[in-house]
Amino acid sequence: MSRFLFPRWSNALLPTIIIVGAIMPLYAVMFVAWGFSPKTLEVGYQPAQPVPYSHALHAGELGIDCRYCHNTVERSSHAAVPPTQTCMNCHFSIRKSSPNLTKVWDSYETGMPIEWVRVNKIGDYAYFSHEAHVNRGVGCVSCHGRVDKMEKVYQAEPLSMGWCLDCHRDPVRNIRPIDKIADLGWNQQAEMTVDQQMALIRQYDIHPSENCSTCHR
Amino acid sequence: MSEKPDKSMLQQQVETPGCGAGSEDSTAPLPPPAPEYWRSLEHHSHTEEFQQFMEREFSEGAQELLGDDRRQFIKVMGASFALAGLGVAGCRRRPESTIVPYAYRPVDRIPGTPQYFATSMEYGGIASPLLATSFDGRPIKMEGNAGHPGSSGGCGAIEQASVLQLYDPDRSRLLKHEQKASDWKSFSEFMSSRFDSPGNGKGVAVLARGGTGPSILDMRSRLMQRLPQMQWFEWEPINDDNSREGTTISFGAPYRPVYKLDQVEVVVCLDSDFLYGEPDSDRYQHDFVKTRQVTNPDPAKQELSRLYSVESRHSLTGAFADERIAIRSMEIPAFLALLVGKLSLEQMDQSVIDQVASFKVASDMLDAHQLEILDAMATDLRSSRGRSLLVVGESQPPAVHALVAMINERLGNVGSTIEYVPDQMVDRPGRFGDISSLVEKLNSGSIETLVILEGNPVYDAPADLDFASAMSKAGAVVHLGYYDDETARASNWHVPSCHYLEGWGDARSWDGMICLVQPLIEPMIDPDQGGKTSLDIIAMMLGESSIDGQAIVKRAHQALLGTSGSAFERKWRRHLELGFVPDTAIPAKTGLAVNASAIAAGLHKLTKQAPGDQGMELVLFNDGKVYDGRFANVSWLQELPDPITKITWDNSLMISVDDAEKFGVRTGDMVRLASGDRTLEAAVWVQPGHANGSISLCLGYGRGQDAGSIADGAGFDAYTLRTTTEPWVLPGVSISKVAGADRWNFANTQDHGVADSMIKEVPEHGIQERLPTLIREASLKEYRSHPDFAKHAVHVAHRLSLWEETNLDGAQFRWAMAIDLNTCIGCSACVTACQAENNIPVVGKDQVNRGREMHWLRIDRYYKGKNPSKPDGVRIQPVTCMQCENAPCEQVCPVAATVHDKDGLNVMVYNRCIGTRYCSNNCPYKVRRFNYFDYHRRVPRREQEGAFAVDMDYYTKDGPNDWLRMQFNPEVTVRSRGVMEKCSFCVQRINAAKIKYKNEWVAAGGTKSGTSRYSIPDGAITPACAQACSTNAIVFGDLNDPESRVSKMQKNQLSYQMLEELNTRTRVKYTARITNPALDHGHGDHDHHHHGHGHDHGHDHDHGHDHGHDHDHDHGGHS
Repeated sequence: MSRFLFPRWSNALLPTIIIVGAIMPLYAVMFVAWGFSPKTLEVGYQPAQPVPYSHALHAGELGIDCRYCHNTVERSSHAAVPPTQTCMNCHFSIRKSSPNLTKVWDSYETGMPIEWVRVNKIGDYAYFSHEAHVNRGVGCVSCHGRVDKMEKVYQAEPLSMGWCLDCHRDPVRNIRPIDKIADLGWNQQAEMTVDQQMALIRQYDIHPSENCSTCHR
Repeated sequence: MSEKPDKSMLQQQVETPGCGAGSEDSTAPLPPPAPEYWRSLEHHSHTEEFQQFMEREFSEGAQELLGDDRRQFIKVMGASFALAGLGVAGCRRRPESTIVPYAYRPVDRIPGTPQYFATSMEYGGIASPLLATSFDGRPIKMEGNAGHPGSSGGCGAIEQASVLQLYDPDRSRLLKHEQKASDWKSFSEFMSSRFDSPGNGKGVAVLARGGTGPSILDMRSRLMQRLPQMQWFEWEPINDDNSREGTTISFGAPYRPVYKLDQVEVVVCLDSDFLYGEPDSDRYQHDFVKTRQVTNPDPAKQELSRLYSVESRHSLTGAFADERIAIRSMEIPAFLALLVGKLSLEQMDQSVIDQVASFKVASDMLDAHQLEILDAMATDLRSSRGRSLLVVGESQPPAVHALVAMINERLGNVGSTIEYVPDQMVDRPGRFGDISSLVEKLNSGSIETLVILEGNPVYDAPADLDFASAMSKAGAVVHLGYYDDETARASNWHVPSCHYLEGWGDARSWDGMICLVQPLIEPMIDPDQGGKTSLDIIAMMLGESSIDGQAIVKRAHQALLGTSGSAFERKWRRHLELGFVPDTAIPAKTGLAVNASAIAAGLHKLTKQAPGDQGMELVLFNDGKVYDGRFANVSWLQELPDPITKITWDNSLMISVDDAEKFGVRTGDMVRLASGDRTLEAAVWVQPGHANGSISLCLGYGRGQDAGSIADGAGFDAYTLRTTTEPWVLPGVSISKVAGADRWNFANTQDHGVADSMIKEVPEHGIQERLPTLIREASLKEYRSHPDFAKHAVHVAHRLSLWEETNLDGAQFRWAMAIDLNTCIGCSACVTACQAENNIPVVGKDQVNRGREMHWLRIDRYYKGKNPSKPDGVRIQPVTCMQCENAPCEQVCPVAATVHDKDGLNVMVYNRCIGTRYCSNNCPYKVRRFNYFDYHRRVPRREQEGAFAVDMDYYTKDGPNDWLRMQFNPEVTVRSRGVMEKCSFCVQRINAAKIKYKNEWVAAGGTKSGTSRYSIPDGAITPACAQACSTNAIVFGDLNDPESRVSKMQKNQLSYQMLEELNTRTRVKYTARITNPALDHGHGDHDHHHHGHGHDHGHDHDHGHDHGHDHDHDHGGHS
């Protein structure tokens, strides 16, 4: 039995194979590095909600403070989604008959909750505390983006561990005065100098922990 | 010193504490010396099995994933891959999850933060005041209600585990009529047909539990009014009949003896286990250890109380005793006679002395050593008049209780160390008498309707009454019960009852204080199927139109307080907040006179009855885990190792080492016990320190599937031998080995986590040189002359590290723990508390047998002494993660899944862990636990069944059982299969405190408030184990604060690190145990060889060496 020989025409393929062979590993690495990054996979997640609630209208145009609805954010690790009651504080008399409010009325009358779709999510093994951040000068906008401009809320930041650590390692440019916490349009980097922010860091003794036990337990 | 560590230095470092050990002739095989401390009989006699066990990294079978062979492994893996494929097919970019807010959020409810409610749990007629943690409306954790004046601040394992019973998937959820599904409407119709026009109540009987809360008494009297001919019975299988009768003999009326153990100097405990397993033992633990704390700054002036224990079985109280005598329970009266003789109290009445003198005392009852103890006991009692105490157990006949009451009175103890609280129910008959008369009435056919309000008499009534057949003679039996149990199956109607966290009620705590039982959650049962309390059922019998538990309790409390309207409402709210009604403790009766002639008469009867040599006695006792059996289906309690035997998932027939030899049985052998015509087959456990001529078995086990999937098949049913006449001690029990029976496989943890397996090269000598350094102890006398003995127990030549040490400089906190061996009783409440707090799974008997139990905290129990049948004592040591600053586990983790944080915690990062288990291998304390399975998803199995012990739907289930998962603490990760876990110092509580105090500080202006940093006050953080501890044996805090309790305890000269020669620099330190033996030496033939240290106390230490003093962190050679 004679040895197998590649036919002569296959020589033409050789440069292609070499080029592809050289590029493929690089491509694979890049694909994984960018394609699987939370920046690609997570940012921009914008699920449909049961009620077409517009943050752009309520928080933006009408200027309702974030904490009017998410009122546990300063007292709990959890920034609670408001109960139906909170909607009804206004909508009991405003735009009562809007078809968009059908589900809200149903909930108000039956006592059954509205099931909102979660947008910002971190792993079950990571324990994030809202109260630990908003009481120390980290504003809502730093993680949630310009919610006051979102018609439908989407995830603005990757919320990955590396992204958290970026700020935990160097929090200075994300620190703002506590009275500007919920002011989404207020940009601390434009309004404050690094020295001013450093003064806040010193005043609040902010030295964010990079220990595993800070978030994982 | 900068030279490289040369080989000789390393050699020196790993050398055993006794530096001379290596010089012995290694060629001549020496018989292993009898060890001074040992964990088990196998350890003591150094069997081949134990040797192998020690040398293995994990116990046998622990490394094999499944019980069977590789082929099965492939099968399982194949199945899992197939299903994994299905999973991937359904993969989306992100699974959609929802947020479900309240439609109406309750006032003060902040989602994501826990709420605390005061409530209380009643069992055995006594309330434990508790504080329940509720997370998003779900009760998840119970703590002691420290605000209650009678509370120890902690609570026992049963209270801790009671929250799991709330979510027990096996609890009864269906209302049944004649074993068939029924509903509330039919049941109400039945009840109204019986009780709407009740007549005089003739033919109606109620069998309740022994509660004495105002509400149940109120409802009872209303019922009596409505149905004057109705009969009310109460049954508690574990009761104080003998003690009540005893006080009736001595004082003319029933009283409850209440011990003031913080006042004692000498306690003589006669066949009693007052420190463990009783509803009030938490309080007794708390009080008693106050007299055992080594607090005097001047060691020469340190005083400690002394505890003598005379008992048959080896109880936990006996384990804590300074001197212990093991004699048969039936010999206790004779022992007391000897003691009375030795005491020769002037004021004792001659009639009593005469009766006592006529007790038959076997000449060989006590050996020479025990006689010495007896002498010392008498001397101590005489010299500590007014500060001494005799405690007698329920196993002893009433006359003995009366005699002990008299001795206590004559010693001047009444009022100082013992008080007599009037029994609330003066006229109530004894429990055994009560249930006997019920059975009599049932048998006579005079009872038409029997209403059983909680309780399981078919299982736990005395066997001679044959309750089941008596019950079948009633016209109709209504059973309210938590489980569809033996009684439920034999009743015409079964109504599921609700948990104490689901229904209103009240009860009295040990001091008589009225405690409120406040529900935290609606019954987790369809209202159409029941979920009622006893009070609700009585309300139905009263024909009340609506059943409202809260209204019933409020009505009783209005009558109690004599107020109504808004004044009452204000008080009621205050009482709910407190969890109890202040100033309702029953005051002790003073000026009680002892009736000597009645006592003499009682003793006369006793001497008449005194059994001669009737062969073996069987002692029955209550279990500290399942109590009378009502907590048998709580998996945390089943998996909790018994404090003495360390057996899980079973009870055992305990027999002494000598008797085991006599009968030719060994641990695990099945024997048949015969008492009269009743027989029981049980497996033997050979128990060091057990009295000869006596065997013991605890109540509450041996149930079938009626008890639930967890309790099914656990242990042996002691009730089958129990009779009304001999409820505690059965004389003349015969034992015969069951021929051809399989040996019972006990899942025992006593040899798990053996820290002395480190030194393989010198297995025999190494262990015994190391063990005394693990448990450091001295007698009070030794301590006075050599107060820093704990620092010299081990010789640490060098502090030399092979690797770069963690830099913890500049940390704001240095968390640490101190465990005081002087105050640790060993009750194991901390183990269950940790399990509840940290979502620790239950693994099942089969897995425990493989050494895979997951408890982060274990309690090591060592026997001490040379003689296995009569150990000198028992030493108890809780072992948890030592949070080493220089942690060996961290050095070997290939993926840095276990690392240090700045506060000094050795943290475990579950999502990094890949499950190599190197860390566990390298941990000298053996405190790391590996998830071999997704244990939360498995039903804990007793035995491995069939091909592999995995549930059929294991790979398809979404997660843990829907009911059980409701107990999970949302602040702690639920670990999945394949990761290592260990004690975290309850880091979730630390983080919560950090956030809270820092927020407050920032809100106050941060540095502008005048302080440069926030601070956390000492005591603001309490890990679950420390919180549960009734004796405050576990103290947690910050070492950076020199005033913190933990700093002070660790600075104490008794403080030591376990295995400090390994230079691990642990953050957990122990306070060495100081015992207070009455006799200078142990046994007469016992040479007091000390600590394997190579030199005794008189020897001059070479103080040129670093002896491993605390805070001595030099890394060089000789200093």
